[in-house]
Amino acid sequence: MNALAKLDEHLATRLAEIRTAKQNGRKIVGYAAGGYFPEELALACDAVPVGFARCGDKQVLNRAGAYTCRFFDPFWRSQIGYVTSQEDPYYTLADLIVIPITDNHCRVFANTVGYYTPEIPSFVFGVPHVKDEYALDYYLQGIRRLKAALEEFTGVDITETRLREAIELCNRERRLLREISETRKAPDLKVAGRDFVALNHGSFLADKETMITILESFRDELADSAPLPAGGPRILFTGSTLAQGDTEAMDIIDDMGGVIVMEEFAEGIRPYWGDVSLEGDLMANLAQTYFMDRVCPGWFRPGTERLDFLIRLAKEYRAEAVIWYHLLYRESYKVDSYFFPDRLKKEAGLPMLTIESEYDAMDTGPLKTRIETFIETVRR
Amino acid sequence: MAGYYDELLRLCGFEDSEIEEERPRIEKAFERLDISAADMDTAENWVTQHHDVSLRGVRLLLGAWLKELIDVVLAKDDGKKIVYFGFPAILGPGLMISASSKDVMVTAPDMVLSHTMGHIFNKLTPILEAGEANGLPAGHALCSLWQIKIGGTAKGMIPVPDLALASSYYCDMGSKADDLVTALFGVPIAYIDGVMDSHWGEFPDYLPERVRYLGAQINQALKKAEEVLGIEIAPDAWERSQNEARPFRENLVKLVDLMKADPVPISITELELMEALSSSSTGRGIHQGIRAMQTLIPEMEERVKAGIGVSEKGAPRVMLRAGHASDPRVTRLVEETGLAVPLTYILGSWGGVKAEPKGEYHTPGEIIAEYEMSNGYYHGTEAQIKFYERAAELMKLDGFITTYLYNCRPVATISHPQKKYLEERTGLPVLSLEIDGFDSRAYSAESLRTKVETFAHMLKSRKSKNPA
Repeated sequence: MNALAKLDEHLATRLAEIRTAKQNGRKIVGYAAGGYFPEELALACDAVPVGFARCGDKQVLNRAGAYTCRFFDPFWRSQIGYVTSQEDPYYTLADLIVIPITDNHCRVFANTVGYYTPEIPSFVFGVPHVKDEYALDYYLQGIRRLKAALEEFTGVDITETRLREAIELCNRERRLLREISETRKAPDLKVAGRDFVALNHGSFLADKETMITILESFRDELADSAPLPAGGPRILFTGSTLAQGDTEAMDIIDDMGGVIVMEEFAEGIRPYWGDVSLEGDLMANLAQTYFMDRVCPGWFRPGTERLDFLIRLAKEYRAEAVIWYHLLYRESYKVDSYFFPDRLKKEAGLPMLTIESEYDAMDTGPLKTRIETFIETVRR
Repeated sequence: MAGYYDELLRLCGFEDSEIEEERPRIEKAFERLDISAADMDTAENWVTQHHDVSLRGVRLLLGAWLKELIDVVLAKDDGKKIVYFGFPAILGPGLMISASSKDVMVTAPDMVLSHTMGHIFNKLTPILEAGEANGLPAGHALCSLWQIKIGGTAKGMIPVPDLALASSYYCDMGSKADDLVTALFGVPIAYIDGVMDSHWGEFPDYLPERVRYLGAQINQALKKAEEVLGIEIAPDAWERSQNEARPFRENLVKLVDLMKADPVPISITELELMEALSSSSTGRGIHQGIRAMQTLIPEMEERVKAGIGVSEKGAPRVMLRAGHASDPRVTRLVEETGLAVPLTYILGSWGGVKAEPKGEYHTPGEIIAEYEMSNGYYHGTEAQIKFYERAAELMKLDGFITTYLYNCRPVATISHPQKKYLEERTGLPVLSLEIDGFDSRAYSAESLRTKVETFAHMLKSRKSKNPA
């Protein structure tokens, strides 16, 4: 795919572009990539949003041990490692870090930034764990405070016009991701899971206009491309976090002949299922799409909406099995993974394998054995 | 007719007449808890070795927990509707429900099981194992308190409740485990949601929208309780619940005041029984707890007057986050190294360091929410750490043992910053210890002794060089 090559090329020069933008006075806004930061707000005040979605490096993860105890999700500990070590250039460029606080794993990251790196300005706001009118209002008030903080930080007023343009831009990106993703509902698959994940991950760093061009190219190329060779069982791949750099489980699934047809994750995968309406109060529309309409992650209470969604996805994408991949110590996902397989079996007739990781090389052998056995069983 | 348990119950403050009156209920409850004559030697030894039963107030306190246990186990038999709340809890809603109907039992059964099956019978392991076998497996740093609740329910020791009040304002694990309870046992849940999204440096301030959101969630939970339980929350339920709880709190203030004495008059092991009761029960346990305090306070006053204590006079004074909730050996060991422990976090928050709500809110939910914000526990990490700082002055501390529960994420968030912050701000040494506060199966006395004893030596040396 030429589009993927273009994405690689763009990302190869992206860092230099952002540095130049920073030198030219644009603010760089780093944000925790859990899907609750409306990038539109950064774009509307001419800042450069950069999603913090990197992990998988055990050394960086270990550095977090100086700031928190081991028993937090390794993705969020990795964010602590990257921010405090300042080794990843994308993390060093941020002028402001925005952290929508979701659960306590995310909160420990926010605490660390606030207490240990006060020299890096940060803005936190809370994401409620239930959906009702009060929760929606609380989230809306949070992003209204964020808007005011960004305006003050950048010196740019987020006018109605600027916000509308930013929403239109982000809607285009979401629509393209959705369009590409939905081609995978067909029996003949044209998009490999790893390619879709590469596009989604790339969108956290890429320039928005460039990303849209790349996605359009990718979509156009699909029209003329042949289906991928028929492989093993179609897999719905779901869990807590699928971050940039965490390819191990996906690699093993590929190697063992499994075909990932859909990815559903709380962190590391940009939500793309809904657009933001351009009618009426735009801030309220952002809250509606980013909070109320988004299918909730596993840390919501209850997590029923997500589990219903997974069953729907499994059916629509013709999955033959589910691989549930969560990171160690993420208790929300651990608990749901105990009782979901029964429901999945009853309502979709599918088997599920639960796997866990702490980004440790020691995980590889057991993961390989378990995934291989599972795929072999599904095949038969 | 005498029962195999009479001696143990007397040890736990029961009068003979109480035993006789309650005998059928005791036997029914013990049978359900798999307690038999074979457990009595262990229990009697455990209680006499690890609790200060020379004090009648302590015996009554152990009895208060046992009475709460019997009531929980037999709640369905007694025709009660049952509400379980998650621990730690914003107690207000539970107290209001309890104050609104005599036919509803509102309690934290996991705390009751840990303080009885652990503290008294040393028989918690089968319950923990049942929790591990029912969705909360070992090795994943899952909450052991929740293993106790799920395990106790799965084993049929405690009844399936009619409603769960989920502590969604603090604990991810608790709310998700309530989902597990729904999946396993079909229990309806009222989620009381809140978001601990304070930025560093914000406390003691808090955003009004936080109070309004948490307040609205509490009010909604009360409405759901009315629907599910078929009761009406009385208009004066808030005032009545406050009046009911007031004597307990007032006595806690007196207790904290007595713990300012040198030497400290009582082990924190016993006061943990007291403080935990105040945040676990809304029924008989509380009333019996008040009775125990009324006996214990004069006993402690006598000790203070006579200069009797559980540590040597002049021993270094440290604050613990909490005593162990199921195994008295763990807390005792800290004191055995020669340290005086006059305060824990919860004891301090009930009876020492004052919260100062602005009083700008009017619905019950908002009033409760505002108190909790000003108190700090549910405000955020920084607020909790600052609480220790304030306690240092209140209790003339020489150091801190800041235990954190590795398998409780909201507590574990403070693991590292609290040591740095407190050492910098107070100049006092801090020993940070990773523990499990409810499950002592992996407890190693030698490991803990090595750490605490070394810290105690250092504090003694420091204190001898810099006497107050």
